[in-house]
Amino acid sequence: MARGEAMDVEHRMRRFDGVYRWFHTRVEPFRDEAGNIVRWYGLLTDIDEQRRVEDALRQREQQLSSAMQIATVAQLSASIAHEISQPLSGILTNASTCLRMLAADPPNVEGAIETARRTIRDANRASDVITRLRALFARKEGMTEPVDLNETARAVMAMLHNQLQRNRILARAELCEDLPRVFGDRVQLEQVILNLLLNALEAMNGVDERPKQLLVKTEREEGDRVRLTVQDAGTGFDDSALDKLFDAFYTTKSGGMGVGLAVSRSIIENHHGQLWATPNQQGPGAAFSFSLPHLPDVNQMSATHVH
Amino acid sequence: MSIEAVQTVKPSLVSVVDDDESVRESLPDLLREFGFAAEAFSSAEAFLASDFVDHTRCLILDIAMPGMSGPELQRELAQRRHAFPIVFITAHKDEAMRRHLLDHGAVECLFKPFNETALLAALHSALRVN
Repeated sequence: MARGEAMDVEHRMRRFDGVYRWFHTRVEPFRDEAGNIVRWYGLLTDIDEQRRVEDALRQREQQLSSAMQIATVAQLSASIAHEISQPLSGILTNASTCLRMLAADPPNVEGAIETARRTIRDANRASDVITRLRALFARKEGMTEPVDLNETARAVMAMLHNQLQRNRILARAELCEDLPRVFGDRVQLEQVILNLLLNALEAMNGVDERPKQLLVKTEREEGDRVRLTVQDAGTGFDDSALDKLFDAFYTTKSGGMGVGLAVSRSIIENHHGQLWATPNQQGPGAAFSFSLPHLPDVNQMSATHVH
Repeated sequence: MSIEAVQTVKPSLVSVVDDDESVRESLPDLLREFGFAAEAFSSAEAFLASDFVDHTRCLILDIAMPGMSGPELQRELAQRRHAFPIVFITAHKDEAMRRHLLDHGAVECLFKPFNETALLAALHSALRVN
């Protein structure tokens, strides 16, 4: 508003009856001919129902996408069987017809040719089903390459920007300048950072009485390593939970599936790194960090060259 | 040599209702090779709206279809006092469903892909009943 620009904000407010609800406020400046702001127009909309529905939908989506990854073999088999049964049925019917047509007196060659054509088409249909299935479940060969963790962290934070804003997260990045690159699968490392950020978001979900501070930090570590930390001001965890945090399927989220941290840890370990969690020393919340060996420093190399 | 062969017996009409295009394309031809007349419909609604309902001697019916399902069509036809026998066909292998349909008057329920022997047997069953 200080800059005189229109603004959209979603926020909670206490209604006349004491109930907190989500509102959307849009304010726009009204200017005179000289361009001076004469007044501000505001529109306040109660979006509480909408927010509840959106939240519920998003939760379902998250549950569904986790669940879909672990779709039961039985359900999968049934789908595959169904998809392939249809063209197979066509093939069988057409081939039976073909034989009968050729056995007729005189043979119905035209008809037989048509059934053969349909048979080929149905076989291709079945083949397409298999191709689609393969594509769906293909483990794409990971690509390893030099990865700049700062760049990756920025990219993930940019991707989550809307969500962070919506949840009123105060996100801050303290990224080490000249952070040496690591060698690995950029997509997988993105997944890990995304997982940590989403967990932080989740941990601060119910938080109202303090700022929702989120810090993403990168730094060098002894032993030619780099470390990335995601620190939140959320509910934190106690020592008893610490052991279980990284177990597959452990979750404190109701209805969540908790595979994120276990998978993240295995990705980091495949990159010859470690992933761990520490409760915050000052204040509530926790910090999740991973460290990875980095590629030889360009600086270091020129330094060794010199002498 | 006979000059002409008069067809004194009209081939029985077997109607096929299935939303799967390859069934609608392939099954009628096989039925005609068996000696039947055949018509195909992409939906129960299309069948009900056609002129062929009254002339149908036997119905080959898909179970799961968008819109009115096979079993729903079965009920509707019963309500309209159509007594022709029904052979269900389906890609979903479900024995319980098959049992249920047979108990409710279906002549047979074939699982896709079915061979022509199974189909012929079902048709003979159906038309014997009729």
